[in-house]
Amino acid sequence: MIARLSFKNLTGRPGRTAALVLLAAFLAFSIFGGSLMILSLQRGLDGLEARLGADIIVVPSSARSKFNVNDLLLQGNPGYFYMNKSYADQVAAREGVEQVSCQLYLASVSAGCCSVPVQIIGFDPATDFTILPWARETYREEIGRGDILVGSDVNVPQDGILRFYNVDCRVVAQLSKTGSSLDTAVYGNQQTIQALIAASQERGLNQYNQIETDKVVSAVLIKVKNGYDVEDVKDDINIHVRKVVAVRASHMISGIADSLAGMSRLITLFIAAVWALCLAVMAVAFAMIMNERKKEFAVLRVLGASRGRLAGLVMSEAAAVNLLGALAGIALALLAVLPFSAAIEKGLGLPFVIPDAGRVLLLAAAALGACLAAGAAVSALSAVRVSRVDPSLMIREEN
Amino acid sequence: MKKSKKITAMDIVLLALCLLLPLGAAWIFPACGAHEDGSVMACHWAGRAVLGAGAAMGALAVLRLFLSSGAKLGADAALILFAGYGEMLPGTLISLCMMSTMRCHALMKPAVIVVCALIQLAAAADILLRIRRERAEKR
Repeated sequence: MIARLSFKNLTGRPGRTAALVLLAAFLAFSIFGGSLMILSLQRGLDGLEARLGADIIVVPSSARSKFNVNDLLLQGNPGYFYMNKSYADQVAAREGVEQVSCQLYLASVSAGCCSVPVQIIGFDPATDFTILPWARETYREEIGRGDILVGSDVNVPQDGILRFYNVDCRVVAQLSKTGSSLDTAVYGNQQTIQALIAASQERGLNQYNQIETDKVVSAVLIKVKNGYDVEDVKDDINIHVRKVVAVRASHMISGIADSLAGMSRLITLFIAAVWALCLAVMAVAFAMIMNERKKEFAVLRVLGASRGRLAGLVMSEAAAVNLLGALAGIALALLAVLPFSAAIEKGLGLPFVIPDAGRVLLLAAAALGACLAAGAAVSALSAVRVSRVDPSLMIREEN
Repeated sequence: MKKSKKITAMDIVLLALCLLLPLGAAWIFPACGAHEDGSVMACHWAGRAVLGAGAAMGALAVLRLFLSSGAKLGADAALILFAGYGEMLPGTLISLCMMSTMRCHALMKPAVIVVCALIQLAAAADILLRIRRERAEKR
């Protein structure tokens, strides 16, 4: 009986119901959408941290003056620089260095109907400890000459062949998403990248036309021995190995972590402001609606409805409105965040990885629960007031 | 079927969504821009196709306003099919650019899919509401 009466009350005043549903939708949209954004940003940062893998990255000092190495690795601006391979040996000989692995960089040129410049990264499968663990998530075979792995944001043609500097490369696997510019890069072994560098030199498209491809590297990635301080090892390399710059990998992403913390604070503030505003408006709206319906409740009491039944009627109406609004808000947030995650990532300039379906569902359930609880708390006050209505006084008042 | 030509809220919603598609493809969520040499990428043609399909849907949504309730059911069904076609244009029927981070992948494709899905949802809801109203009137 209560359910039917609640339904009639809600459908009988569609404008009022729609306004309350809209408020509940705002609540759900802000808390679910905001939390999903914060979780995705956190997941992106975690993924990036895991993928960088090295403690220290050593690049030629000229690379620092020409452009920021962060641009290349984190901001997705393709670039390349080279130094003599002997620097890798000098770095490896320093105290505290456990493992070194060299990488070779190249940027493709934009050509053809749909190509854009792509960062090409060559690694040595024999010594690599950063890309291989990542690649092994999707590909366990040997990576041969001409084989390439591509980031998750690179769309692979149906024939699985990508052409750089007129050299055909076979895509053997697509790497899992990190939410950073590492997802738009292409990875191959040193021989593959040396062949591409040579091809770019032949076409006069490489600014380092004089280098011998088998005698250079672009960066040396270092793993520090246990018991050694990473900062000390980095300083030691910077002091004793000339013409190179050693950078702590964690420092490279500290800027991103700071931006992420700032963004999370901003989103939390937004959620708090929307909730405070919506809950206040909802409380006032409920109080006004209940005041308006005093006579209706008095008549119901005269007809024999108990105090509990009246409170139940108010609570069930509020629950129905909140449920509808919360579902609509959650659906809207999903529609705004999931399909446009790439645009959000690009707009924010921060790593952004949507959590897996299970977590999203869990978050949606939590948001739904929070909205229903908040709605119930706001309407409970009005329900208590309604249940205390003295029917004789009320009807006399109205007359 | 009643021959009422009354304009309902759902008619306005459908019209707004159908007009959003061509306007969006042209200005709000267009495909990637041309190269410096003026050459265009494959996604440009996907954007043009969406613009064309969207213009046809917009015209149908305008015409729909002047139709009887029964004819509106047919127009709704046509819009559902048209929107399905529109959803498949970017990426499925016409290929897009190489990187998922490019505008055609990041903005145009999801926006077209979302708008087309909303058109399908609104048109389906309109069909259901009209059939329900018709049944209620007969009783």
